[in-house]
Parts: sequence; structure tokens; C-alpha cells
Amino acid sequence: MREYIDNHHLKVHKQSVSASRLRRPLLIALLLCAVSGALLWFDLIGFLSPVRAGLGQVMSPVAYQVTRVHNGAADSWGGMNELRHLQAENEALRQEQSQLHSELIAREQALVENERLRQQLAIEEAQPWSLRGAEVTMHSPDAVRRVMTIAGGSAEDIDVGMAVVGQTGTGPVALVGIVEEVGRHTASVVLTTDFGSRVSARVIHDGDSALGLVQGQWQRGSRLRLEHLDREHHSTLVQGAIVVTAGLTAELDVPLPLAEVPPDIPIGEIETIVDDGHSQFAELRPYADPDQVRYVWVILDQEGN
Amino acid sequence: MGDSRPGRKLEERLLHEVLALVALVLVAIVQTALLPTPLGFPLPLLLVLVVCRALVGVEAPDPEVGVLAAVRWAFYGGIALDVCAAAPLGSHALALLLALLLVVLLAGSLRIGRALLPLLAVLLGAVVYEMLLALIYHSTVAALDWRSHALVILLPSVLLALIPTLPIFHVLRWQQRRRVEQ
Repeated sequence: MREYIDNHHLKVHKQSVSASRLRRPLLIALLLCAVSGALLWFDLIGFLSPVRAGLGQVMSPVAYQVTRVHNGAADSWGGMNELRHLQAENEALRQEQSQLHSELIAREQALVENERLRQQLAIEEAQPWSLRGAEVTMHSPDAVRRVMTIAGGSAEDIDVGMAVVGQTGTGPVALVGIVEEVGRHTASVVLTTDFGSRVSARVIHDGDSALGLVQGQWQRGSRLRLEHLDREHHSTLVQGAIVVTAGLTAELDVPLPLAEVPPDIPIGEIETIVDDGHSQFAELRPYADPDQVRYVWVILDQEGN
Repeated sequence: MGDSRPGRKLEERLLHEVLALVALVLVAIVQTALLPTPLGFPLPLLLVLVVCRALVGVEAPDPEVGVLAAVRWAFYGGIALDVCAAAPLGSHALALLLALLLVVLLAGSLRIGRALLPLLAVLLGAVVYEMLLALIYHSTVAALDWRSHALVILLPSVLLALIPTLPIFHVLRWQQRRRVEQ
């Protein structure tokens, strides 16, 4: 490799490749473009949804295992550093420490699972929600869409339109997305920060509240925006005001995609207020960063429903 | 991955094709599940691989075989990404193939210093790739503001794609030369 790099640096492309030699691969590429375009079209009209769901089911267990190993390794990274330090101090205990390390990873994984179940129990005690926990297995492979895949699907009673909540750092449990598609053991979730995500919201400040619409702003350079606020209630637009879901579609009790989103799920708080002369809107700081969550809970139901 | 020299037995070629498919599915899983996403921007590993494979293919003794391998990588890898990320089936394959077409057309005719060519090719390929995905999003999900999209999504994504370009390009070229020497 070293010899290769030394001998081949900064050479000049001496001759251009004749177009006729590339005709066949370019034609095949064009043909595959047409095939991809046709696949895209059939998928958008729903013709290929069962095929994609089936393929997703095949991929899901592999991705789930890969993510578990990855998360386990990341969680135990701090412990590993400490272990390495001890190994340097006492060579005689290396063997024992290695064994302890394996046990530590297993224990860390058990602790993580235990912690998640405790968190779920705490949320269910504090909120009238029935939850289903799920690991985040995949994120969007490009920067255009804000979606993630979770390890839970129709077999776990997850349905399209259900709200997905998560927690980052010491912040409260908050809305991170809405279930968009469901397979048997996987579901894809559109994150709240995606430009295509719109959720009815309620701003609460000093005993007053107002209705508005929260829209994702990732594709426009920020995260969440609260707009379409009733003019009479613009006094609620103050920095630090709390924004929660309004659950308007849920109250109507009609079979619409967002009908499963219950009211009063924390979304975030107002960070800045912008007045463009015609209307006011607010930039929000989400309580949970959807890009950072590794484990989420889907709200299956709430008391009274 | 994906060699298709005419003299080879059908079974051997099929085996190589299956191995290429499995390897590209693994790369898609790595891109969607394992690679870090600094500030929410995923590293477009498959795009960089496809573009670099195309460049290496263009300068191979038989460019037809080399570029065909890159075309297959783009198609298999794109479909694998679509399946992994629950994206519309065919969207990433189409974006990768169009990026590859542009790169092959330019690389086949331009006289550019080798050190710059991979970076320029990935830059152009990433612009086409991201723009096509944005266009699909724009026409199927929600209308985008193209100016801000170019600044806050396209630019960082394209710059991120340049980071692994040179190492990947040189490893693929080294592998190609070894194969030719053998």
C-alpha cells in the first residue's frame, strides 16, 4: 500500500476514456434508473408497500442485533477506560479483570433494560398513557428526511398515527415523532423536526393557553416552529412558555392519521419569538432531541379511551 | 465485488454477485445503524463508495467492466438503503445511479489531476444525490424552501461526504491494481 501511494501520487489523467467503451455500462445505468423510477412510482401509489414491509421484516432482526451490540459497547465505554487503568496498575489481576469486564458488559445491559422499564413505569404512573418501549434501530441514511425505524410494530399493538415519546439528558419525557408506517415488528417514525411533521399544540403561560400548530423546521435550519396562533392569545407567546400537544384530532374521534396523538404531551418551550409584521411565530427548543434518542416509548392508549 | 469478466464461469459470477449484494446490504446497515451522525447529518458512505468505484472503474484496463461493477453497486446499495431506512423503494437507488452517471460522463472526458478528481467527483455526485432526494421529498411530503435547504442541508452534507473520499478511493484503486497485477 505504501509503495502504491508513493508511486502513484499526483499523476495526470493522460488520456480520456473513449465514450464508446462506456456506452454499454451507461445504457445499463439508464435502464436501472428507469427500473428505480418505476419502483419509486409503484411504491408511492402503495403497490409495493407489502413487498417493502416484507423486506423490512427480513432486515429488522439484523439491524436490531447490530444496534444492540453497538449501544452496549457505547454504554460500557466509560467502564472500559477505568478497567484499562486498573490493568496497568496490577498485571497479576489482568485475567480476572477481563472476566469481570465481560460480566460488567452483561450487567450494564441488564441495568440499561432495568432502567428503561423503571422509566416506563414512572411515565405510566405520572401520565395517563399506556406505553410500549422500543429500541431505535435505524436513522435516516440521508439528511433530507428526519425519520427513524423502531423495533416494534403491529405485533406489539403499534399503529399508524401513534405518538412516540423519548427522553434526552435530564429533560422531561417529550414528543419525538409520529408513527408513519407499521410492519409486523418494525415501524417508521417521522420525527417532529421533519418539515412534513405538523402537530396541533397548546401554549401554556401564567394560567392562559392558546392553540397553534407546531411544524418541523430541520430542512429550514432550525428545529421546531409554533405558528398559526390565535391573535387574541398572543400574550402567551413569551420566552420559556411551555408547549404541549393539543390532541385536537384525538378529541374529534375520527379515523385520521393524527387521531392517536393524545393531548398534553410535552413538546418543548419557546426559545425566540419572531414578528414579521403580519404574524408572529415562535422558535421552540424541543425537550427531547429526536436525533439523540436511542430508546423510545409509543403511546398505545390513554386512560378514558 | 461484482467482477464480471466474460471468461468466468456462470456459477463463479453468480457467487460474486451474491457476495456483492450481501456486502452492500451490510454497508447500508452500517450507514443507517452504526455510523455517527454529527449534528444530525449522516455520512453518505454508499455514495462515496459508488462514486470512487466508478472512478476506479473508468481508469481500469477494461473500463466497461469497471463501470458496470459501480452501476451494480449503486443499484444494490440504493435498494438496500431504501429497505433499511423505510424510504420509498427506488429513491436512493435512483439518486445513486444519477450521481454515478454524471461522474462517469465527466471522468471519462475531463483531464484533471488525479488528486483532485475523487474530491470533485464526490462533490458533484453528492450534490446530485442530495438534490434528487430533496426533490422526491419536495414532491411527495412537503414543499421545501430551496435556498435555505441548499444552505442548511445540502452544503454540510456535501462537505461531510468529502471526508472519507480520499482513503476510500485509494483503497479501491490499490485493490484494483492488485487484481490487475494478479
